[in-house]
Amino acid sequence: MTGMDAILHGGLQGYLVVALLLFGLGLATVLLRRTLLLQFMGVELMLNAANVALLAFARFHGGDAQAMVFYLFIIAVAACEAAIGLALVIGLYRHRDTTDSDRATSLKQ
Amino acid sequence: MSLTPSQWAALLPLLIPVFGACVIVIMSLDTDQATTKWIRGAMYGTALLAVAGSFWYLTDLWKAGSQPAFFQLHMDRLAQFTGIFVMVAAALTVLQSWDHFHQEGWVKGETLALLLFSAVGMMLFASTTHFVTLFLGLELFSIPLYALVGTVRARSESAEGGMKYFLTGAVASSCFLMGGVLIYGLSGTFDLAAAASILTVKGLALDPLVLVGAALMLLGFLFKVSAVPFHQWTPDAYEAAPHPIAGFMSVATKGVAFIALLRVFPGSFAPLGALGMKMQAVVAILAVATLVLGNLTALVQSNVKRMLAYSSISHAGYLLLGFVAGTPAAYTGVLFYLVIYLAMNMGAFGLLTAFGLVGEHTTFEDLRGLGWKRPAMGFAAAVFMLSLAGIPPLGGFYGKYMIFRELVGTGHVGLAILGVLASLVSAYYYLRLLVALFLQAPSAEAERLASDRPAVHAPLAGAAVLVCAVIVLAGGFLQYALVDGFAKRALVEGLGLLR
Repeated sequence: MTGMDAILHGGLQGYLVVALLLFGLGLATVLLRRTLLLQFMGVELMLNAANVALLAFARFHGGDAQAMVFYLFIIAVAACEAAIGLALVIGLYRHRDTTDSDRATSLKQ
Repeated sequence: MSLTPSQWAALLPLLIPVFGACVIVIMSLDTDQATTKWIRGAMYGTALLAVAGSFWYLTDLWKAGSQPAFFQLHMDRLAQFTGIFVMVAAALTVLQSWDHFHQEGWVKGETLALLLFSAVGMMLFASTTHFVTLFLGLELFSIPLYALVGTVRARSESAEGGMKYFLTGAVASSCFLMGGVLIYGLSGTFDLAAAASILTVKGLALDPLVLVGAALMLLGFLFKVSAVPFHQWTPDAYEAAPHPIAGFMSVATKGVAFIALLRVFPGSFAPLGALGMKMQAVVAILAVATLVLGNLTALVQSNVKRMLAYSSISHAGYLLLGFVAGTPAAYTGVLFYLVIYLAMNMGAFGLLTAFGLVGEHTTFEDLRGLGWKRPAMGFAAAVFMLSLAGIPPLGGFYGKYMIFRELVGTGHVGLAILGVLASLVSAYYYLRLLVALFLQAPSAEAERLASDRPAVHAPLAGAAVLVCAVIVLAGGFLQYALVDGFAKRALVEGLGLLR
């Protein structure tokens, strides 16, 4: 089985690699990008990486229903986070006319 | 679905504040809330009633000695202890925020509703070892706090602090989630206690994925207690947040995260012996870093709120030292210290409201000479600062003493000495606040501005501060009664940690 087959047809490892890759990409986006919206997308990517891993494990454990329900809860939580996060971005934009996180420095000493 | 009385008993302490919060949201739909005093009064009254109802119910459970459960939500002694802790903090916050938001001119009902939801999330977070419930509790108390930090939308610093707290907090939550998912993946169960025994049986205790998972979960907890290197958000968030909310975050978030950490790491993960040792080594290093960095950075702050933020970071260091010692007596000391810390930090942030400092005017300069103008508040300030520094007859000293004694007892003498040195250093910046309050005369310009403004009137915040001062003083004189009556029983009967 080639690597691509493993990812497409069921190897748990393939899914895990994808999940950890997504997680790393999300973390890198948050740390390296300087636009609040992109950093925010990075956070969502990290949450969804955990979702991918969760569903892969759920299938590996024989379709664990608890994990499937948890997955739905995580989606709901991510939506709540998005609501608060976007509200804060808009609040900041109204004061500063920018979504560049390097320019949000009025609290430093 | 019908619930048994026992299930209701476990749920009610959470449902009462949730119901109160929903009522407050409906009340705050009224567009007149900024102008009509009775609506504001009704909203604050509802919040206090909801908090008092939950508090009363929890104390009743505690007295009856029952430990009900609702599926994965275990209202055991430790959870009841946490609930009472959070409700006292929430009540003090509500009282202080009435005065603070009137001073700021920004009285909104949603603040109270968010505060109540956050308090419920905290109780949920500390009363379970099931990862799904744990994660939902974490998010339920974090998400309202992100909004609360940025609640005074008129100030641009407010949105900025909220944004910083949100981004870092969301990353920490994602890491926590990923860690839990990895542990679930290898063990096949969400219950962390069951997962630990399954992993031990399978011989996977030191599997790299389990290590990564446990480390990511630890990161989530350490972020919430603001330990170095996950502390950067703390000063910014506290400075941006309204004073009572900053106090609530410093006390309740930290306390609850420590109690949940206690439940998960020494509690559920006890079967994973080798992993526990590794985690303890990491915690020891981070505790030292937290103590040193928190205390040294606090020395150079000119803003009282930032000083208190770094002081809260250094207190996370002392509490982490209790985890390094890792004996039942040390955990009892941690719980006792958290109670005293609740009183002294809520009091210290309450002072800012009681002195009527609003917006950016929270530097040491703004405090000059205020101690003589409000002698009762000045006395309370002296109690809080001396207790935070760990001066003997006060409560803060006994908390530190219990932790350091256990450190020496378990052979970590070096860490105990470092802790004592850190307390000595911290005395400098705490006394600096007292010097500003009592020994420095206010500048001529400040005097002129003060005579232009109406006199500060903050009766509720003042009362809350005095209550805190009494708790700190009582904690110093009744420490063994408090420890045996509450902290030890919470651990023994709730966690079964001491046998």
